[in-house]
Amino acid sequence: MEEFFQQLTNGLAVGSIYALIALGYTMVYGVLKLINFAHGDLFTIGAYLGMTLLASFALHETIGPFIGLVVLALMVMGLVAILGAIVERTAYRPLRESPRLSAVVSALGASIFLQNAVMLIYGARFQVYPEDLIPETAIDLFGLYVPLVRILVLAASLVLMAALYTFIQKTRIGTAIRAAAIDQDAARLMGIDVTRVILLVFLIGPALGGAAGLMVGLQYGQINFTMGWTYGMKAFTAAILGGIGNIPGAMLGGLLLGVIEAMGSAYISIAWKDAIAFFVLILILIVRPTGLLGERVAEKV
Amino acid sequence: MKKIVFVLMTVCLLTATAYAQDTIKIGLMAPLTGSFASEGAEMKQVLELLNAELNAKGGLLGKKVELITDDDGSDARTAALAAQRLTTKGVVAVIGTYGSSVTEASQNIFNEAKIIQVANGSTAIRLTEKGLKYFFRTCPRDDEQGKVAVDAIVKTKAKKVAILHDNSTYAKGLADEVKPQLEKKGIKIVFFDALTPKQSDYTAVLTKMKGAGPDLVFFTGYYSEAGLLLKQAKQMNWKVPFLGGDATYNTDLVKLAGREAVTGFSFVMPPLPKYLPSKQAKSFLADFKKKYGNEPSSPYSVLAGDGFRVVAAAIAQTKTTDPDKLANYMKTQFKDKDALTGTISFNAKGDRVGDVYRYFKFDSKGEIVLQK
Amino acid sequence: MKNKSMYIYGVIFAVLAVAPTFLNPYWVDVLNNVGLYAILGLSLNLIVGHAGLFNLGHAAFFAVGAYTAAILNTQFAIPVLWLLPVCALTAGLFAGIIARPIIHLRGDYLCIVTIGVGEILRIALTNDLFGITGGPNGIFGISRPTVFGYVIRRPHEFYYLIGAFLMVTIFLFHRLENSRFGRAVNYLREDETAAEGSGINTSHYKLAVFVLGAAWAGMAGDIFAAKMTIIAPESFNFWESVVMFAIVILGGSGSIPGVLLGAVLFVGLPEVFRDFADARMLIFGAAMVVMMIVRTEGILPQRPRTYALPEARNAGGAP
Repeated sequence: MEEFFQQLTNGLAVGSIYALIALGYTMVYGVLKLINFAHGDLFTIGAYLGMTLLASFALHETIGPFIGLVVLALMVMGLVAILGAIVERTAYRPLRESPRLSAVVSALGASIFLQNAVMLIYGARFQVYPEDLIPETAIDLFGLYVPLVRILVLAASLVLMAALYTFIQKTRIGTAIRAAAIDQDAARLMGIDVTRVILLVFLIGPALGGAAGLMVGLQYGQINFTMGWTYGMKAFTAAILGGIGNIPGAMLGGLLLGVIEAMGSAYISIAWKDAIAFFVLILILIVRPTGLLGERVAEKV
Repeated sequence: MKKIVFVLMTVCLLTATAYAQDTIKIGLMAPLTGSFASEGAEMKQVLELLNAELNAKGGLLGKKVELITDDDGSDARTAALAAQRLTTKGVVAVIGTYGSSVTEASQNIFNEAKIIQVANGSTAIRLTEKGLKYFFRTCPRDDEQGKVAVDAIVKTKAKKVAILHDNSTYAKGLADEVKPQLEKKGIKIVFFDALTPKQSDYTAVLTKMKGAGPDLVFFTGYYSEAGLLLKQAKQMNWKVPFLGGDATYNTDLVKLAGREAVTGFSFVMPPLPKYLPSKQAKSFLADFKKKYGNEPSSPYSVLAGDGFRVVAAAIAQTKTTDPDKLANYMKTQFKDKDALTGTISFNAKGDRVGDVYRYFKFDSKGEIVLQK
Repeated sequence: MKNKSMYIYGVIFAVLAVAPTFLNPYWVDVLNNVGLYAILGLSLNLIVGHAGLFNLGHAAFFAVGAYTAAILNTQFAIPVLWLLPVCALTAGLFAGIIARPIIHLRGDYLCIVTIGVGEILRIALTNDLFGITGGPNGIFGISRPTVFGYVIRRPHEFYYLIGAFLMVTIFLFHRLENSRFGRAVNYLREDETAAEGSGINTSHYKLAVFVLGAAWAGMAGDIFAAKMTIIAPESFNFWESVVMFAIVILGGSGSIPGVLLGAVLFVGLPEVFRDFADARMLIFGAAMVVMMIVRTEGILPQRPRTYALPEARNAGGAP
């Protein structure tokens, strides 16, 4: 039983990262119906920027570890958000009115470009975050041994998700985003500047992805230019699992995918872990064709 | 668009044929893009350094030596194309490549074109069991490494061993090689499974492995995963000793895992020049550091360097670039006691002869110490 | 117009037919890869381009064909070219079983399921399913194809084998495009509800087109296995599916010349960029974005079907 709960925390820790990245996929999909394949690479860039900023400013030493990390996170999120907007402007906006799948190929091209740009700038070797940023203590939770850094990462991602949820549900801008997701033309008629909404989505999504990249760097220490491909694929799966376009769905899907992977490793086979995750996904889609929380869209008549 | 492609293609064709025949060309096939791009980049650095030194001494047979590098992308299909491309450039020999299945895709192409191939990282046994005349490798085979690893495990007196690989050709091969040998010696294998490489969280794997209660974990995969495993095992407060195969070592490992987590980690691998007494090894190390600012991080790039040195020496000794004479010479007479990774000579299959693997352990300062 | 394009195609065909005489083996082999991906692209074009089904797991069917050929050839020494229909059958059957429960999924959900199928298959092959797939090593020692006792070994020999197969593919798929089947499939891509209203059994057609495309990829797998003589699970990863998908969309969804050009660009450009060494994929990624922006419908998009008006026909001159 202890092993079961240990695996549950393992799964939730991984899942919270998936969820943060999945939010970027799902928000973009919501308003543009586009799978932003470059999102995973924005996540990678977040991780690399975090490392560079840590090394060049060493904020945690000058203004204390906690405030230092918060400021660092804000800087990374801001920079990745700007980059996200640039990608939108150059690779997606010219394709707004063209067939949907064309934009997917443009997204794939942008992904290849960004991944190789990171490789050429930082080199192909694994890069390492400075050690001892967060004290290497662990907390004993009823016999479960959970490292402090995991709890911090889980808490931070939950805070970000809660903030996003309130923003989308309670503010005027959030309402505009939801309106644009439901029907762009109707939203435009209601006086919503859809282009700005899309830009906003491309600021928020990448910002969250960048934050996730920073968290991966802090928690695991090593980063690599191909990591966005792996994480991006998982996060995309999570977004679909929860019902793409649906924000709570992405959060649920991410956490669930992490837990499915951990439980699959624990009780079936480690080598088949990813296959098990996809298998569960397919089963769920056969029963619920639009994901767990996705709305059943009536076919147009 | 079509026009541009056509123009580009013709330009490439022209440049490909414009090379004059007044140099001796040696090829390097290495993973410059893809998952093993860091290994490939270093292979290229080592060969460029050695080539510059060779040319500074006057080259070979009175001609300059030209190094032609091509990317295999760590992928069989790209490698087959890279090999075809190298054959059209008139190379005498090709050094490379890293992955066994990638090398395998290029073997026949080089062999049919009568080009000497010296692989530097492909340890799969079957590569030299096909009777190819022009194929050599400077790295030892998986069965060699398996023997050394089994000896090392027996020495630790572990009774229950967990074996973890990553389902790559190399890691699975080594794991499969070691498992029956350990069982024969009465050691119980309590865990045998594969992790998925390129992810960053292996706590689920570690938790499961911990449940099996091994005295020792033998991990046959690559160093980035080894770093994560060591670090996360320490975070979980699980104090089991880890033993790794030769791909787990890289100078970056200490950084990746952290100095504390890496203490006590042991592994088998061919020695880096740092641990060899020879003058050649020492001066190579100094030159490499001078040119690139750091030591070579992986034994495989140094093994590529040895491949280059072997070919250069064979050409100088036989005074010819005839592939048959070179292959014959390398198999029967070649011997270099002072290569960058110890003594090198080849058997009739093209395999490197002699025990190359050593057993190392990290001390508390993050330095590696040769074990007896 | 029609005559002019026929003229261009004739010249291209003639140049390609004699290409091995003036190209070195490397460029011939590049063309072989182009041909192979063109066949794969055309088979995926049926599914993505004509039926509008978002399939990002086409490498799975390619893999089923390649593994069928490899296993039957190495275990029972059956010549690889005889196995072409068997590979088509296994890949088609596999696609049918997979697609049956999921074919009704909407666009992007279908996309992730096909990705998932591809990944599950790759992991299964890596874990040595039923002990016959050889695990991560894959299967080696696949024999070379023989045609009337003549062993096909070198790049320029494969060139004509792949070329012939590609020609047959183009001919058959061109016929299919203009058939009742082709029209029905295009209709359901444009408007599924309307198509259903017109009496087209949409899930039947979707399934049929999916199976056909998969079977063709299976045959391409057979040729691939024979050409490489070694196959391993890593040759069929997600990236391969992405390449096939991009060939179709970039070249021009639904258009045979478009897909052919897409294959030329996708396989040829990374080779042309080889001289940029480690920056070659960076340039390639940028080129993908630029080409997509410049030609949003693909480079040579499918031309809408045109029918001459009755009056025009009476007048004897089609526009």
